[in-house]
Amino acid sequence: MKILIVEDEKNLRETITDFLKLEGYLCEFAETVADGSEKLALYDYDCMLVDIGLPDGTGFELIRELKKLHPETGIIIISARNSLDDKIEGLDLGADDYLAKPFHLTELNSRIKSVLRRVKFSGKKEIVIGKLCIQPDARQAFGAGQPIVLTKKEFDLLLFFVSNPQRVLTKEAIAEHLWGDFADSADSFDFVYSQLKNLRKKLLEKTGTDYFKNVYGSGYTFVANEP
Amino acid sequence: MKLINYINIRFMLLLLVIFTLAGIGMYIKLGFDVDENIDEILTARMDKIIDNLARHPQTSFVGFSADQSIQISEVKPCESSRIFSDTVVLNLHDKRYDQCRKITALKPLNGHFYKIQITYSRFETEDMVEILFTFMIGLFVMIVALLYYLNYRLSKSVWQPFFKTINTLRSFKIGQREKVVLNNGNIQEFNQLNSVLTEMMDKIQSDFNNLKEFTENAAHEIQTPLAIIKSKLETILQEENISPDVQQQVQIAYKTVARLSKLNEGLLLLSKIENRQFVEQTDVDLCQLIRTRLEFIEDLFSLKSINLKVQLAEPVIFNMNPVLADVLISNLLNNALKHNLQNGTLSIVSSHGELIFSNSGLPLTVEPEKLFQRFSKNSASNESTGLGLAIVSEICHLYAISLQYFYADGQHSIKLGF
Repeated sequence: MKILIVEDEKNLRETITDFLKLEGYLCEFAETVADGSEKLALYDYDCMLVDIGLPDGTGFELIRELKKLHPETGIIIISARNSLDDKIEGLDLGADDYLAKPFHLTELNSRIKSVLRRVKFSGKKEIVIGKLCIQPDARQAFGAGQPIVLTKKEFDLLLFFVSNPQRVLTKEAIAEHLWGDFADSADSFDFVYSQLKNLRKKLLEKTGTDYFKNVYGSGYTFVANEP
Repeated sequence: MKLINYINIRFMLLLLVIFTLAGIGMYIKLGFDVDENIDEILTARMDKIIDNLARHPQTSFVGFSADQSIQISEVKPCESSRIFSDTVVLNLHDKRYDQCRKITALKPLNGHFYKIQITYSRFETEDMVEILFTFMIGLFVMIVALLYYLNYRLSKSVWQPFFKTINTLRSFKIGQREKVVLNNGNIQEFNQLNSVLTEMMDKIQSDFNNLKEFTENAAHEIQTPLAIIKSKLETILQEENISPDVQQQVQIAYKTVARLSKLNEGLLLLSKIENRQFVEQTDVDLCQLIRTRLEFIEDLFSLKSINLKVQLAEPVIFNMNPVLADVLISNLLNNALKHNLQNGTLSIVSSHGELIFSNSGLPLTVEPEKLFQRFSKNSASNESTGLGLAIVSEICHLYAISLQYFYADGQHSIKLGF
């Protein structure tokens, strides 16, 4: 999978690149609109991460260009201008998602996977991890062939973990993923714990495997390979 | 009052004064002329009578003139003289007093001394006043009628561009993309007004855009470094072989960055609301919005075992910006969740254009008046930014929604009146 990152902030770009490389993505980057449009003309990408505020223009220009050249490429806007106008304009132009800075890298990863699933496999792809099988489009999970009954939030949580295997998902990232703006509630970490406890129990029941590992103080990790 | 009426009334008052003064002046001048004329007639008559008397001396003057207008009598010796005076004579025919002019002459003639009085009615002067009065009134009425006619014509044609400008201005809204165009006519003053207004609107729009750009850029400039810090910290947390101690430190830094970024977002939102950058308005069904938001976070309430009572049968529909409506409801729900107790309650009731959020909670540690101020928060909950209710208050202020807080029986209630 090839991803183009258009971001003028060097540090952020490098952190994102490093993170995504570990996921096995091939990452290329551009700092400006001119740079980005040159890369888009020369190469094919599966997904583009684009910042709106760039030194020589806006990311919207690149979205327009990409939609003309390769309409099937996934586009995720990463912008610090958390303004509704930008969001609407970007999505209208054909972007798949909009992520406001600062974001959790694991959240970005999860969104990229979701976009790639949509554009590459039309959402039909199954994710199979040992006895666990997940159908993201149908929003269903199976353990050893048996359907696992999950609430909406539990399914979201599972998908979030599955998108970020072997990663530490911080409680903050999980809370924000599940509840958005309501995540800053003082007890949201207890809520994360409760939700995870339920999910863990249900998965353990059907698959006989405990996929989750506590990371002391910070969060949880989804262990794909059975220890 | 219409400008044209305002001008006309003053104009007519002035005309009234001028007409009155002119009438009085004319009356005095004409009266003077008539008196002079009468005096000449009287002198001529007197000369004729004296002449007659000199040629045909008489001693009895009874019935000298039928209408008593000439009276002659013999008097004691005296100097010869002539005096004009005004007098009133009883008119036997009409039974009324007539204004008259009188000449009184004393004349020695053939050894006799005569006193001769001749009176002359001044009815011409009285007639003259009447004529003058009617003429002036007639003229006045004609001018008024003419003015009203002109008025009608003027407001129909001349003021047209003015009213057009006003109508166009009414549709002007700060922050709209389309430029307002004011059409010029052939009246210079209105064109001047249009050009000044256009200039002003352009200035307002550009100031507004600058401000908007500034707040957005400020957001960008602050959020980007925060994004870098956050992602770096997250990367450190991903490391497998860091000591728990370091991990804990990083964890705290990570949490704080998240709070800082929330704070920045909140302050930006406040300044955007204050700058009235949320222009678009639609009818928002607030009850529906509450239901949708509750559905999204109902697990949060159930995890805290909060008993939810929702009575939203009566719809509350309000014309406002949809984003702000969402922020308003989210912040109120978040507030009710955050400051609630384990096993607490939350009731949301709609009635007669009112929304009441009541939740259980510990008594306030801040004064209720300061509840809606920025950064005033209960010390108990350090996690909150202290901006949630300030944002609620700012949105209510923007749309003139009444906002009340009261506390009774362990229940904090916030009442919104639309």
